[in-house]
Amino acid sequence: MNHTSSQTSLSRNERAPLVTDAIPPRLRRRGANQRQVLGICLIGALVLAFFASRDTPGWAERLGDSPLDHQLRTIAGAWDSAMEQLRLTDPHEALRAMMNRALDWRWSADD
Amino acid sequence: MLFPTLDFLLFFLVVAAALVLLDRHFAQKKAMLVVASYYFYAQWDWRFCFLLAGSTTVSYIAGLLIGGSDDPRRRRLVLAAGVTLHLVILGIFKYLDFLVSSANQLARMLGLQHELPFVEILLPVGISFFTFHGISYITDVYRRDVSVCRAPLDMALYMSFFPQLVAGPIVRAAYFLPQLARPSDEPIPVAAALLLIFGGMVKKVIIANYLATGLVDPAFAAPENYGGPDLLLATYAYAVQIYCDFSAYTDIAIAVAALCGFRFPRNFNQPYRALRLREFWQRWHISLSTWLRDYLYKPLGGNRYGRLKTYRNLMITMLLGGIWHGAAWKFVMWGALHGGGLALERIFQSWLGQRPATRLGVIVSWVVVFHFVCLAWIFFRAEDFTVAGRFIAGLGGGWHQPIQQAQPAMAGLIAIGMVGQFLPPGSFERAGELVGRVPYWGLGVAAGLMLAVINALGPEGIAPFIYFRF
Repeated sequence: MNHTSSQTSLSRNERAPLVTDAIPPRLRRRGANQRQVLGICLIGALVLAFFASRDTPGWAERLGDSPLDHQLRTIAGAWDSAMEQLRLTDPHEALRAMMNRALDWRWSADD
Repeated sequence: MLFPTLDFLLFFLVVAAALVLLDRHFAQKKAMLVVASYYFYAQWDWRFCFLLAGSTTVSYIAGLLIGGSDDPRRRRLVLAAGVTLHLVILGIFKYLDFLVSSANQLARMLGLQHELPFVEILLPVGISFFTFHGISYITDVYRRDVSVCRAPLDMALYMSFFPQLVAGPIVRAAYFLPQLARPSDEPIPVAAALLLIFGGMVKKVIIANYLATGLVDPAFAAPENYGGPDLLLATYAYAVQIYCDFSAYTDIAIAVAALCGFRFPRNFNQPYRALRLREFWQRWHISLSTWLRDYLYKPLGGNRYGRLKTYRNLMITMLLGGIWHGAAWKFVMWGALHGGGLALERIFQSWLGQRPATRLGVIVSWVVVFHFVCLAWIFFRAEDFTVAGRFIAGLGGGWHQPIQQAQPAMAGLIAIGMVGQFLPPGSFERAGELVGRVPYWGLGVAAGLMLAVINALGPEGIAPFIYFRF
């Protein structure tokens, strides 16, 4: 056993607990590197910014009271308005209206 | 900072960018993850960071002292001191007011006038989880199941790694510390991670949130206002809600850890398809049930000293497992029901067999186990015994009353939650392989679109995860 001060070492008789990896080995054979993960996250965030802008003003409202927060609120509001003009908020509104209709369904019309 | 929020997305983008910059610098990458984890934890209350650091220091020093000695007495002494310190910290922050309240109730029953004052300490998020991490590390070093962690940075990351910090899964030192010994050369399983995030978001944002606000919360707030059908569906709804809520958290935690380059263990395996209560515990919160088995049930003697002691050990384990969830007698009752159920199952084991032999037997076993688990959930969810009593009494009557809360959308969400329990084994692998064929830019677009759809379908605002309280 060879310990150094900066690294955790492995003993030869290390007994790993009997647990199963959450992600099965079959799905671990192919994958991405850290750069590609960042790329996926950035593309995802960009798509989200386009199609989920309706929630950004609400998010910005919950920020603090610093000048930066005020600026962020203005940007969030302007961004949402811009997306609305481009009609990119329509899918969001349609899905939310559909969900609300589903929630309003009743077993009988008398309810 | 909750997983399904914009705050977490921004936080993770910064972490992902830092991971790219530090890709070839493993020590710096670990240091950055420790800083990010403490920042993540400080979002609840920065003062709790000192508690986390204290808990880490106790584990680290106890590990060094145990590992540095061959004297069995000294090793045992340090183990006892380390575990006691962890339990004292947990006891003060989580159970002190519960003990005071119980003592005051007892004093009132005995006709005593004097009442103890409450301490009213804020419960630090995730304290039960990082305490169990610390205890398992010290015990594993004592048992020589894991090498001593001599790198303070590794110990700090093991105790604080942000994906599992506040609600698990409980990752064992022997599983996680070897991952910190050297950088992994495995590719990042990005397709599986995105599937886990997508599934977790659907379970939390849509199923758990709507079931909570639309059915469970109103029914448990005033069960006397509802008839049998509403209460029965609210019981099923809570079973689905707590599964979707908690498994969503661990699914996202597993995925986020994977995107950072680390493996986490499986924590749920379709628990509501269990045909025996024992099987339920092999499928539900696996990291806790195996922890309780290895650090409590087995040290108590497990099933090695005869039937009666086995039943006693089961009962003690489940009672303590119950109170681990929260400082209230209702959790003790929940643990007692499961302990009693497991003991009864053992008593009739020779008659019941390992698995039912016939199709009818399978159906009957499933119905019995599922409803037993649901019954126990009533105590877990209700405010106190009075509400639980009213709820159970309400289940027995009022079947002529019209349905108020359990409308089609709620029934549909319960059904969707239950269907997930019966998907054939290997479904996740097959879906993962299919998603893995999509090019990376396509995965990014798909992930963004999926999250936008879930965001639109979910209610405004996200309730905290249930297990944050534990």
